[in-house]
Amino acid sequence: MSRLLAIAETIEQSDLGTAIAEGRYAFPIIEGIHLIGLSVAVGLIFLVDLRLIGIFLPSVPVRELHRQLQPYVFAGFALIVVAGILLFASEASTVIVSPPWPFKAFFFTLATVNALYFEFVLARRPDALPDRGPLPSGIRGAGLASLSLWVLVIVCGRLIPYIPRWT
Amino acid sequence: MDVSLPGGAAAAAVSLIDILEWLQTSGLSHFIAQANHLLVAGLQVIHVFGLIFLLGPLILICLRVLGLVLRDQPFESIIGQSRTLSLMGLGLSLTSGVFMFLSAPLHYYGNRAFDAKMVILLAALISYALIFLWTPMRLRAHAGLARAHVLLSLVLWILVCMAGRAIGFV
Repeated sequence: MSRLLAIAETIEQSDLGTAIAEGRYAFPIIEGIHLIGLSVAVGLIFLVDLRLIGIFLPSVPVRELHRQLQPYVFAGFALIVVAGILLFASEASTVIVSPPWPFKAFFFTLATVNALYFEFVLARRPDALPDRGPLPSGIRGAGLASLSLWVLVIVCGRLIPYIPRWT
Repeated sequence: MDVSLPGGAAAAAVSLIDILEWLQTSGLSHFIAQANHLLVAGLQVIHVFGLIFLLGPLILICLRVLGLVLRDQPFESIIGQSRTLSLMGLGLSLTSGVFMFLSAPLHYYGNRAFDAKMVILLAALISYALIFLWTPMRLRAHAGLARAHVLLSLVLWILVCMAGRAIGFV
């Protein structure tokens, strides 16, 4: 832990970290971009998840919705990741001692693994994504898992400033 | 000449502050502020999820109006189902936002970012309502106007987000 903390302090004291922390407007602007990227990427991911579960746009073929929204999901995701790294760099040593942070990282990893498993395994099975009618239970499960895991990532992320330390 | 107007305006401003002071010392405000700082954190979490559920479907509508996605799907069914989901998000955001404001009205009122957010929010809400009222008709007759409108609406919500994030920093 102390080695982690030392690394975090090095990141925080880098030129990039201090520039963001000391600039008057840099931090809130980057936080705003993090939030907008989140609304685009997760907002659209939720729509696909709800389609997989079967409660949103059931008349639209899943493949069409999933494939056509993908570039916008990736664009939003790029914004979140870049802004997230910059925010982390500016307050790394504060963030890593906050209890919600390791949970956020854990749920983020699970959500990413779930997305990759859906993309490269589940969706490639024959008849995995019929245009109409109920989807296979594995597909619906992946949708529900995605929805739940991204919810947990966001809850943990938003709690970071409110639960700064373990004791 | 009506010289009573400036005095009247000042009196109105004072009474608004009075109302906010009364709110700040009211039982509800004290309850939210004192109960537990996790209650405020919970409201913040709900506020973010409301925003995500408000904006996700709105972005889908915008992309469809711009002709970038789901071109083969009838617009009416997309806007109908998206509206339901988006309005649920709006309900969550507005409700949590009102309770956050009630927890510290004097802290928010007069904060430059909060004041700006409220003005832009009003414009965003009008534009949001017009999307559901006008866009299906306009898309046929004036596609260019419908496209400009959805883009303006998205820009307004982005500004609401930016102003909202700035509240704690100005």
